[in-house]
Amino acid sequence: MAIAAAARQEGSLRRWWRVLRVSFWLGWQIETNWTDPLLFFIYSLAKPLGGVLILVFMYFVVARGGQGPMLGFFVVGTALWPFVLRGMMGIAWGLISDREHWKTLRYIYTSPIPYRGYLIGRALAQATSAVAPAVITLIFGRYVLGVPLYLATVNAQYAAVAMITGIAGIVALGLVVVSAAMLISGEAWRMPEGVGAGLYLVSGAIFPVTTLPAVLQPLAQVFPLTWWLEAMRRGLLGPQSLRSFAWASDAQVLVYEVVVTAVWIIVATLIFGVAEHRARQLGILDQESAY
Amino acid sequence: MTTASIPRVRGLRRVLRAALGRAYPRIIGQNRERSWLFYDTILPLLGTIAFVYVYKALGAPDRFIGYVIMGGATTAFWMNVMWNMAAQFYWDKQGGNLELYMVVPCGITPILLGMSLGGFVATVLRAVAIVLIGSLMFHVRFDISNLGVFLLVFGVAVVALYGLGVTFASLFLLWGREAWHMAELFMEPVFLASGFYFPVRALGFWAAMGTSLIPLTLALDAMRQLLFGAAHPALLPVWWEVGGLVFLAVLFIILARFMLRRMEYLARREGRLSLRF
Repeated sequence: MAIAAAARQEGSLRRWWRVLRVSFWLGWQIETNWTDPLLFFIYSLAKPLGGVLILVFMYFVVARGGQGPMLGFFVVGTALWPFVLRGMMGIAWGLISDREHWKTLRYIYTSPIPYRGYLIGRALAQATSAVAPAVITLIFGRYVLGVPLYLATVNAQYAAVAMITGIAGIVALGLVVVSAAMLISGEAWRMPEGVGAGLYLVSGAIFPVTTLPAVLQPLAQVFPLTWWLEAMRRGLLGPQSLRSFAWASDAQVLVYEVVVTAVWIIVATLIFGVAEHRARQLGILDQESAY
Repeated sequence: MTTASIPRVRGLRRVLRAALGRAYPRIIGQNRERSWLFYDTILPLLGTIAFVYVYKALGAPDRFIGYVIMGGATTAFWMNVMWNMAAQFYWDKQGGNLELYMVVPCGITPILLGMSLGGFVATVLRAVAIVLIGSLMFHVRFDISNLGVFLLVFGVAVVALYGLGVTFASLFLLWGREAWHMAELFMEPVFLASGFYFPVRALGFWAAMGTSLIPLTLALDAMRQLLFGAAHPALLPVWWEVGGLVFLAVLFIILARFMLRRMEYLARREGRLSLRF
């Protein structure tokens, strides 16, 4: 009774903020404290830098040297993709690891906190760990590969709006993935990875959407990630960027990103609510699979 | 059945039976779990297709698509070695199996042998599926100039690779949560170092020689020479690469045996065998 009264007094917005803050801190600890900071730093950099270098070597064996807009396309896409991996997949792994590995899901779920807020806080912590690799990959692209990432030509405001909207889109996608993870047990570990691999293919992460077969191109436009990556490339690389949607102006791309993200947030909220209700009805919310 | 009625076997037969026993869930169990088939085949395939489209966007000749498909199939082996060999004892620790492995009379070596055997059989099916689906999707033809040498390269590479897997498994025995992250760490950097998606010679001769410590580097280069002939910028002649792979196979088997004993001793001494987190 006393807890419920205290929660009422606190107000839902403040409670959400507190839960976000605390779960962010918890997520950050889980993400980073398995090793010392130096090894964590190397670990954070190795994947995106490895990824961008694979593409750079692929580029050079075909182009035999020389610069081109494709290099910038690779660098920005590879620098930003860890946000998707860690943010979207991280939210799902937050639930799955609590359920299967730490076995704490039932205690967290029954505590007087908005569970959705807790999961979003965990996802944001994971996404934050992608900031350093993204910045270093961009610096590497600028100074080692000669990608035209000049402060003078970067549209910082445009890129900032695109980035914030992009993170919202990633969290929305994460909520959809976590909804599916609530309802399945055995393969929940691998399902987020599968979704991530599918999105990597269709959302223009490492090649323009126009390269995809015609049947897949409309599908790419359904996901907020496609518009986010396109907007970020335009914001960071300016007019020299290679475009997936040459027909759209910069403003149109940003509007599409905001609209598609808003739709996904609404859809994700609804799906999460339905999945949570269904998982509780079936009694599988905290069901461990021993995988 | 009482313990007295269980037939006792010793020596090589015991090793063989234990290895087959451990291989069984890998071969039969994995293929019973349909979703694993889907994930193990489709996940590497999705990544492979993405890289094929990168080459298409760059306007590369068709043989580069063949490179990527081969790289995708090799990814299945590398993922199997890292997640199901190197990090396996971490999962076993979580599930409580590791303590059981440590007290069974056959010892840990046949368990690892069985893991390798089962993992290889299960992975080879997935790799073949990736090559077939990839080739059909992108109309790539592979003309093997010398099938015997191709199979020899593949066979020696697999022995060296799983030897490396056992070496890593013993190293991972000491780790807790780090195991998961270290297996993650060995993905993209290894795909880069071994030239999964481009000819490894592009790294520069000496850099590529350095990364040849990973058996897949030499194996991929040799197999690509046999598939694409003179069009492929070779690192070394095929027979030199076969010799290198034989050396690596012997090296990793000896190293695995040494590391296993050493790490098992350390893990017992530091009480990490049953430490879950």
